[in-house]
Amino acid sequence: MTGRSRTRTAALAALAAGVVLTLSSCAMSLDGDTPQTTLDPQGPKAQTIHNLALPVFIVAGIVFVAVMAGALYVVIRFRAKDDDDFDAFPEQLHGNFKLEIGWTILPAVVLAVIAFFTVSTIFDLARKPDADALTVEVVGQQWWWEYRYDVDGDGEADIITANDLVIPADREISLRIKSNDVIHSWWAPALNGKKDAVPGRIHPLTINAAEPGEYIGQCTEFCGLSHAEMRIKVVALDAADFDAWEQKQLVPFEAPTDEAAKNGFTQFASQCTTCHRITGMTDPTDESGQKLYEYDPVVNQVSGNAPNLTKFMTRTLFAGGKFHLRLETDECKALGEDWAETPEGIEQCLNREDLEAWLRNPPAEKAMYAGDAPSTASRGMPNFNLTEDQIDDLVAFLITLQ
Amino acid sequence: MSISHIDGPLALGSGDEGRVRPGGVFARPTTSSGWRSWVTTVDHKKIAIMYGTAAAVFFLIGGIEAILIRLQLAQPNGKLLSADLYNQVYTMHGTTMIFLVVMPLGAAFMNYLLPLQIGARDVAFPRLNALSFWTFLGGGIVLNSAWLLGGGADGGWFMYAPNSGVTFSPTHGIDLWVMGLLITGISSLVGAANLVTTVLNMRAPGMTLFKMPVFTWMSLVTQMLLLFALPVITAALFLLLFDRLFGATFFDVSSGADPLLWEHLFWIFGHPEVYIMILPAFGVVSQIIPVFARKPIFGYPFMVFSGIAIGFMGWGVWAHHMFASGIGPVSVAAFSVSTMFIAVPTGVKILNWMATMWGGKLKFTSPMMYSIGLVTMFTIGGLSGVSHSVAPADTQQTDTYYIVAHFHYVLFGGALFGFIGGLYFWWPKVFGYFLNDKVGKINFWILLVGFNLTFGPMHVLGLQGMPRRTYSYNDGYGFNVWNAVATVGVLVIFVSFCVFAWNIVHSYRVAKRKAKGGKLTAPADPWDGRDLEWMVPSPTPAHNFDVIPTVHSLDEFWHRKYAEGEDGRLVRVAATEDVVQKGDATDVHLPSPSYWPIVLSAGLPFIGWGLIYSLWLCVVGGILVVAALYGWVMEPSTDPAAGHDHDDHPEPTDPSGDAAEAPTDASGEAAPTEEAALVD
Repeated sequence: MTGRSRTRTAALAALAAGVVLTLSSCAMSLDGDTPQTTLDPQGPKAQTIHNLALPVFIVAGIVFVAVMAGALYVVIRFRAKDDDDFDAFPEQLHGNFKLEIGWTILPAVVLAVIAFFTVSTIFDLARKPDADALTVEVVGQQWWWEYRYDVDGDGEADIITANDLVIPADREISLRIKSNDVIHSWWAPALNGKKDAVPGRIHPLTINAAEPGEYIGQCTEFCGLSHAEMRIKVVALDAADFDAWEQKQLVPFEAPTDEAAKNGFTQFASQCTTCHRITGMTDPTDESGQKLYEYDPVVNQVSGNAPNLTKFMTRTLFAGGKFHLRLETDECKALGEDWAETPEGIEQCLNREDLEAWLRNPPAEKAMYAGDAPSTASRGMPNFNLTEDQIDDLVAFLITLQ
Repeated sequence: MSISHIDGPLALGSGDEGRVRPGGVFARPTTSSGWRSWVTTVDHKKIAIMYGTAAAVFFLIGGIEAILIRLQLAQPNGKLLSADLYNQVYTMHGTTMIFLVVMPLGAAFMNYLLPLQIGARDVAFPRLNALSFWTFLGGGIVLNSAWLLGGGADGGWFMYAPNSGVTFSPTHGIDLWVMGLLITGISSLVGAANLVTTVLNMRAPGMTLFKMPVFTWMSLVTQMLLLFALPVITAALFLLLFDRLFGATFFDVSSGADPLLWEHLFWIFGHPEVYIMILPAFGVVSQIIPVFARKPIFGYPFMVFSGIAIGFMGWGVWAHHMFASGIGPVSVAAFSVSTMFIAVPTGVKILNWMATMWGGKLKFTSPMMYSIGLVTMFTIGGLSGVSHSVAPADTQQTDTYYIVAHFHYVLFGGALFGFIGGLYFWWPKVFGYFLNDKVGKINFWILLVGFNLTFGPMHVLGLQGMPRRTYSYNDGYGFNVWNAVATVGVLVIFVSFCVFAWNIVHSYRVAKRKAKGGKLTAPADPWDGRDLEWMVPSPTPAHNFDVIPTVHSLDEFWHRKYAEGEDGRLVRVAATEDVVQKGDATDVHLPSPSYWPIVLSAGLPFIGWGLIYSLWLCVVGGILVVAALYGWVMEPSTDPAAGHDHDDHPEPTDPSGDAAEAPTDASGEAAPTEEAALVD
């Protein structure tokens, strides 16, 4: 093969490879589901972003093809045939003022158009939420997300939950994002872009899930050891289901009656309450079952308490979202947030294995600085060296948190 | 160098009797070969080679860290690295590649070429130049000593507060990171002052600013950026240092601090920093492409002004790293628009390089292929950059692998490709032998494939929601296949660098055999080059130019060989052998070597370690620094033993016939400094 046609072949091969790669990546995923994708908006805010981003990608794609095609053309067309050709100098063009001004101004004009739409989208996305928006306080801390709802509007959170952010669908949700320790970032790509959780500040983010469903995300600002395992799930319910969920969360605590669960309850009160809270929990040592448990005021972790476990069984995730509480089979997912209402639901769908492993040795399951907890320097759940019986009892107790 | 002519109490004139060896220890070293000559050198060329060698070693370290990252992420829930170790590895990978590889590689090229391209014998402050290198090396050692002293820094190269504070990062890794960067910061800042002074004051007679090569211009802009950006990161590092070691509360939220202070300070440095990394590589390919296209750079004024524009505009875009940080829509909109417009001067450069090749006669040597690699790969990175500038889109893209793809395309596909091309291009000038061009092309293709396999899929991964800085990912997210492909890619990159290393060694052996064990020499002008560095023999003699040339035009060397006819066609006017200098000038006065730069540099790491571990180390370091400063100030300006009466011989005249325009002073000392000061 002559040098010239070898170049042509190589260039065409490179072009073919590039086209194949581009097209296959446009097919996007080669192994099925992409539940955290940014390219499939499920709500108006994410759709607004997508409506701006897609044309920009297309313009960038056109420029990409043009530059690559231009480069390919140039290297083929102007190749020196041999050394003699190389030494026969081409015309010594120094520049072309008009052309240069042209290709300075043209991109600037294109960018100005993009800038116009970008600025209007920025302000559109930043507008205050609807008057009937539901406000939820989002608190990030190492390495889990807390969600607080002030249902009766008295300034105090009535529902304090973690990992699963339950919202009504088709309604604006005004998130007020905070952090208790370092910078985190809250992100559910199907619903909106991300917003950092910065300690000492409150950042607003409005989300709106068009349809009921589960929308996942992750913390997206490096926050230390288990940044990769600080997960987010937004559970959007239709209006009636959300009201039912809200009411259920507000049902007062009931002490367990079952033997194993009672043992677990006592265990929980004696050990776990140094960090965990359950709203309205009674004192297990009190015969009448009416006396509220008195929590120690001491802060046992750098960032505050551990997740509030009220109505624990209405969640689908635990351990900062690292583990599924509800197994992710199709049947169990179909049961939604009420999966644990029936004994069959618990039987089939409780992720007993991971839950027990967590109780057995939390630092082995998720990287944390549990240290010699409880202490004000610890971050995370320590290993309490529980016996298998204790673990069984605790799980039995947790199952009663409905 | 001309201090010896100033009378006064500081003058220890060369050749004076009496105080020839004041105090004994302060005499300048005289060795000109062997390891001692490297340790005491102030020759910009030797310093450049040391920068390049150190950068190569750090590249190996950073590359191993990259391979570890990719092996961990090859599959979901990888178990190779724990979360803690992964966080250290990725932090050190980024920090090493940015501060200890790309920046020193740029420094290597700028150090070697700047004096040659402006027709000078060395930089303005040769000992300071040596200090820059040894300080950089010390800083890199301090930073990497963390691996041996309890673990690398683990807060990410951007080191956001308050995670970087002692409460959340109690190990010393971050302390060593801070010290290492403070020390390398001294290196770059001092070097910037040095090189700006050099370019502004030491150009050859006749070389106005707009007759400087594009590489020199890009280097000047880079050094100006360094001059102003480094103080900002230094301030930020001091705040963090005081928080961590001395109980200050600059970033303590409970005392009222706002963590965004760190973000702003860091990114006001961090954005100019990326232009600091890319502009020298832009300069490199601006030198290479015209040579292998047989045409001058298209639109020289636009190339220069776009570089200057990038330098200025680069200060106004920093908060595009903070679009999701809660800075409010007005700030977001302002920075979004400013970021879009910085694409304009960058795009102009891409088009100008293409236009240089258009209508040319292209020869695809290894340097040319790497340069075309930069043009194409940087375009990809630049386009993804434009998509980031659309702030709402960026709130989906930021902190995902889409960003990782972007900056690797511009830094690896851009800066590194450009620098490797530059290595192939200037290797014969520096070392006196050629890197095998065929092997170079194989090297290029393997690297191009491996690079795109590694970072191309990351665009997809990011848009599909894979966050960055995560030590593992779960199954069922659609991340598995492309992560596996990216890991294969990094192994291909590794192979390509093995080929490159082999090329260096093998080409050396072949050349040594051909030279029959004698000195390695190569033609002065093997590529039919355009600029002054090709006017001296290969390898460059210690004194650079026998005679400082007088410059009449841009691409001065080229125009001594060829003239342009009315039709734009070239006509040869002189044989290359007649134009290049012989390199045989004797008794050219050069700045003398010195012990003190390395001694001073040795003190700084001890101060750094001492502030962390034990104040006695600070004392040791302090003694070294103070002693070095004293020796530096007190040592004679040239080695008295080599001194002799200046009136013995006049400076040889410039054979271009412009002797009258290159006056020497009464003593016959070459006076480029004085002359150049009169020019522009």
